[in-house]
Amino acid sequence: MNTFKRWAGILVTVFIAAPLVIVVPMSFSSASSLQFPPPGYWLGYYRAYFTDLDWLIPTWNSIVIASATTLLTMLLVVPATFALVRHKFRGKGVADLMMLMPLAVPHIVMAVGYYSYLGDLGLVHSHMGVILAHTCLSVPIAFLVLSANLKGFDRNLERAALSLGASPTKTFIHITLPILRPGLIISALFAFIQSFDETVVAIFISGRDAETLPRKMFDSIRQEADPVIAVISTLLFFLVLVGIATPYFISTLRSRAPTPSRSPAGAH
Amino acid sequence: MTSYLELSNITKAYGNFTALDNVSLSVEKGEFVTFLGPSGSGKTTTLMIVAGFEKASGGSVRVGGRSISELAPHERNIGIVFQNYALFPHKTAAENVYFPLQMRGVNRAKGLRQAEDMLSLVGLKGFGHRHPKELSGGQQQRVALARALVFEPSLLLLDEPLGALDKNLREQMQIEIKRIQRSLGVTTIFVTHDQSEAMSMSDRIVVFDKGRIEQCAAPLDIYHSPQTSFVASFIGESNLIPATVTNAAARIANSPVLGSFDYAGSDNALADGQEVTLLIRPEHIKLSRNPIEDRKSARMTVETIVNYGDNALVIGRAGDIPMRVRVLGADVVIIKEGEECCISWTPDSVFVITR
Ligand SMILES: Nc1ncnc2c1ncn2[C@@H]1O[C@H](COP(=O)(O)OP(=O)(O)OP(=O)(O)O)[C@@H](O)[C@H]1O
Ligand SMILES: [Mg+2]
Repeated sequence: MNTFKRWAGILVTVFIAAPLVIVVPMSFSSASSLQFPPPGYWLGYYRAYFTDLDWLIPTWNSIVIASATTLLTMLLVVPATFALVRHKFRGKGVADLMMLMPLAVPHIVMAVGYYSYLGDLGLVHSHMGVILAHTCLSVPIAFLVLSANLKGFDRNLERAALSLGASPTKTFIHITLPILRPGLIISALFAFIQSFDETVVAIFISGRDAETLPRKMFDSIRQEADPVIAVISTLLFFLVLVGIATPYFISTLRSRAPTPSRSPAGAH
Repeated sequence: MTSYLELSNITKAYGNFTALDNVSLSVEKGEFVTFLGPSGSGKTTTLMIVAGFEKASGGSVRVGGRSISELAPHERNIGIVFQNYALFPHKTAAENVYFPLQMRGVNRAKGLRQAEDMLSLVGLKGFGHRHPKELSGGQQQRVALARALVFEPSLLLLDEPLGALDKNLREQMQIEIKRIQRSLGVTTIFVTHDQSEAMSMSDRIVVFDKGRIEQCAAPLDIYHSPQTSFVASFIGESNLIPATVTNAAARIANSPVLGSFDYAGSDNALADGQEVTLLIRPEHIKLSRNPIEDRKSARMTVETIVNYGDNALVIGRAGDIPMRVRVLGADVVIIKEGEECCISWTPDSVFVITR
């Protein structure tokens, strides 16, 4: 049984890791289309990616759209989360449901909806249109992350601050925000990744002007299977790896750093 | 006479539920007052109304003669210590203590020095650089106390501040809190479940039950002259015997079960025929084989003996009235569970409760 479990574990790991094992070498491949195993290795497709405007513009579009989506999402989600977590009001259940709705509805359904709705508004094929659509998709994710954080927030901390003479605004700035900062950062990160990664809605509404990176990759793989796709996948993979590892390294470095400890005097 | 803190006719309703019913209380400057009462009796609610976090449905709160009912919590200059301490996790101990000074515009260098001084006063010299999670429960408690005191509040409110500490640490902190409170002379309200804590720390105890103040008096008065049977049974151990006053002038009452009583221990004004409750504390009852001369005595069947080493609690029944007797450990050898023995007391240990 134990050996079975071990083999099952190894199999699952291999299955999950396989795409990475394939994609990374393929990005250095000298073949003219996606091909595994690569016939030879060179850095040509990296040069191609970093010099070809057909790739750089969608990358830039994705960064702009994801950033704007994150900003807009947080502007909406922070006040909404405070209201929904901390206050009771009529229609709260409905409001809660509406917040989470985009999570339950399939993206393809949302995409068709946005296509006709944003079309009426004349926003199809524009950055603004994609930003608005992505914001709708990011809001529930950011809300879920932030509300979990806010529910765990000890309100006595705010009461303590008020009793110590901090006005409600100062309490928010000096106590609430700093304590919620990790939650805010993670929730913003999720909003960003959601937008950066989103393909279905982008295919429907981004058009040529606001073409995002995932859309460009999708088009490319259908037409020519340009190995630049492997380059981008590899770059994104390492970017995410760095993003995950950095906080971990910082915290281990911090805990290793010698904390100045003085002799305990008068207390136990 | 005007007192420093004055609660008048405070009521608080949550929907149909009355959490506080006409609570009135005067506290002198520098006094240490303890709120004692069972869970849900309204202690925290009262404190939160004083602090401004809850709005009273009626009544007023005055400090130093001025009404503070209209002031927001941050304008009240009241120091609070919460049961879970509520230290700011992202600030060091010194920064926590500096926070109220920061809010009052004291510059950082000066404020942090003041914070360190306050930390030394609570016995945490040299701990200023630690974050709350690097401190023990007792140490966090001290930081919370220092933070609530550093800005010289007009009142100090402590809501079960010792609830989370173990017994030894509790006793140590009781003494510490009392010492610091005396040395600063700050008017203090302390909430607790623990009657021995209330007894040992307070100038006065306020006993709460079901949103009302049952009695407000010095600890020994609460113990020896409880005004209601609730107070008598809540504070210390008690034997409560229903009786009727038969001769008020001669201070004699009659219990259907135990017979005629002298109640020299009370000075309540009573009328003939009045229904009362007689209180005798377990340590005022003597246990013997035979009746003792000059003492009112009754027979008791012993049901349980709980031995504490230096003393023992003998639980039994006199007629249908449950009785508890506290005896010195050496005396307990004369009886066994299931036996009948004689209990006796003097008239001056009988206290009459009219409510
Ligand atoms: N927000 C609220 N809504 C409804 N009822 C409340 C609310 N807050 C308190 N109560 C009720 O008011 C009563 C008094 O509560 P309070 O917290 O003052 O009790 P307490 O004496 O501090 O009890 P404990 O010793 O358990 O802390 C309780 O019955 C409680 O259920
Ligand atoms: Mg309470």
